[in-house]
Amino acid sequence: PPETRAAARAPPRSGPAPVTDVDKLCVCDLLVAQCDVNCCCDPDCSAEDFSLFTTCSVPIVTGDSHLCSQKAAIYSLDVEANPPERIFKLIDQVNPSVFCIHTTNYKQALFLSSPEMPTSENFDQLLKQFGSASFSAEPDSWSMNTDAQNPSDENETYRYKYGVPIQTADAFLRLPSPVVSSWCSDANPAGFLVNQATKCIRSVSVEKCGNIQAVSMLFYINSSILAFVLQVNITVQSIVVQSLNGMRTLLNGSDVLRLPMILDELCVNIVLGVSYHITYTDAGEIIEAAAAFVLGAINKETLSIQQSFEISFTQVNTKPVPLSGNPGYVVGLPVRAGFRPQGYPFPIDIFFAALVLNTNKYSQLTILQSTSNQDCLAAQGARTPILFGYNMISGCKLRITAAMKCQPLTQTLLDLLKGQSFPEYVASFGNSQAQDVLDWVPITHLHISEQRIYNTFQSLCQIPVSLEMEVKWTKYGSLVNPQARIVNVTATITTTTLKQLPSGRERTIPITSSVVFTDISSPAEPGYKAWPTINAKLPFDFFFPFV
Amino acid sequence: NNSYQLSSVPLQIVFYVNGIYYIFYFLATLAMIVYKCQVFSYPHEFLAPDLALLFVMAILELLRLYLGSMGNLTEEEAPLALSLVIMVGSVILSVYFLVWQTYVLKADVIINAVLLFTYGIESVLQVIAIATFFG
Repeated sequence: PPETRAAARAPPRSGPAPVTDVDKLCVCDLLVAQCDVNCCCDPDCSAEDFSLFTTCSVPIVTGDSHLCSQKAAIYSLDVEANPPERIFKLIDQVNPSVFCIHTTNYKQALFLSSPEMPTSENFDQLLKQFGSASFSAEPDSWSMNTDAQNPSDENETYRYKYGVPIQTADAFLRLPSPVVSSWCSDANPAGFLVNQATKCIRSVSVEKCGNIQAVSMLFYINSSILAFVLQVNITVQSIVVQSLNGMRTLLNGSDVLRLPMILDELCVNIVLGVSYHITYTDAGEIIEAAAAFVLGAINKETLSIQQSFEISFTQVNTKPVPLSGNPGYVVGLPVRAGFRPQGYPFPIDIFFAALVLNTNKYSQLTILQSTSNQDCLAAQGARTPILFGYNMISGCKLRITAAMKCQPLTQTLLDLLKGQSFPEYVASFGNSQAQDVLDWVPITHLHISEQRIYNTFQSLCQIPVSLEMEVKWTKYGSLVNPQARIVNVTATITTTTLKQLPSGRERTIPITSSVVFTDISSPAEPGYKAWPTINAKLPFDFFFPFV
Repeated sequence: NNSYQLSSVPLQIVFYVNGIYYIFYFLATLAMIVYKCQVFSYPHEFLAPDLALLFVMAILELLRLYLGSMGNLTEEEAPLALSLVIMVGSVILSVYFLVWQTYVLKADVIINAVLLFTYGIESVLQVIAIATFFG
């Protein structure tokens, strides 16, 4: 079509044309449509403006002074006249030197070259010429230098840094993950110290049971990870078998490699989930790798299965407790808490952490979770972890009937508000280790009772109606990178009296639970270096003849 | 004695002066090209033709002066005619250095004008000498 052809032939855009007429060039004309002070060449200035000037800031505008003959615009103020007026002269300035340029056949000699406008045609060439750190006349010498540096780095390749893909003997440790759609892509490498959990769908069928590599255990453990001078084999940590109806059983002997095979028109030993656990040292070397499998079975109607993959990293000789920050708490990560068991001077969450590798409610501070039906007694103990920095409030409604007894109700409400195992200590830093006792802050309990004045003579039933937790935190560390540190945790239980109801009547009281984070950081103090002192002492024998 | 000598003395003088002047011209043009390289922007694709033509001109000049001088002294027409033909090339090259060079300085204009003036006198004298030798 002619319109597209005309558009394709449109000339490439270029920069604005340079101004070369000396009578139109004015360097001091900075304000648009306004007169610049003492700028005699400004076209926006009128004769009255010129009469107010004291001097001309730009007395002469010339072209290249190398030329033998060039035009020059001379501006001057005639202060003798009343009022002062501007004089503008256009003359030919002659360069007396015998080496002045008479003519030149090289047009770019006298002008600064305007840069090329990048278009789709010349972009690659411009990028090659100007795209690197320096415009070297010998670009090949740069690439030769970087090649020479590589052999010295080879010793460092097997010390991993954060995010570096974990290398195996043939390629990278794969963690299949969904890329564009939900289908599994096997090309996702696992990064060192990057805990990932992915789920994706793979298409399977009973006929191709033994042929699909990605559903066989061998695919995930036959590569050995390259560690520093060693090759670490991936061991099978545990195998869980999931039946067709979803029930999972843990197998006892986990040394046997179970490959997919057809059994009773089902394809069994299909990998439904792999969980890698990599152990590393603080020098960045991987020393151990284990994989826990979930195997399942598919029948003839199954066309696709969902596989879930996970990788987690544990430092050697530590327990794999998930950190909520390093070292300060990160907003949005759960507040870590723990107990001091009887007889032990340190919190117990190391024991809990050894059993389960994911976060669970035993090592976190939790708050009551509101349910949709808002009935306290039907809440069934749902709790949600308290995330650092997020003030939360939740609650439920308690329906009190006449038949309820005080003491069981009090105990039920306390369990509801505090949960099954309310911790005693909260970690002050996100990475506090269980063995550092001083890094844990004890929870202070307060008790407020709403007493009605006219009921002081009778010891009535007091039921807890609200639990307010206040977490005071401060900024710790340097001014440019402050870390959040929990200083104080207070749990306040408010109780109210429960009046005895006449039989048959019901009453609904709200129960609330809240957590508030308060920043009590003191203002930062700048730290200055000490002033240098002048060390001026006279020499010992300065007053020699007299002393 | 003069009536039997056909060699033209003025032509020989002009050849001699031309030779000396050309040595000066060659060194001056070379020095000015070096000066232009330092002071102005002189890319390689413009510098190479200028230098090449300067050296070609030197060779042509050498040849032309030798042939002309020999032809004049031996009173032969052929070398003189050949020298005249080569002069055409020299004239073109001199015009190049006067007008079509990358940078034409005022000094370039002066020395090329003097060279062309010398060529003019020389060509007239050469034609007269050839006519004399024919006759």
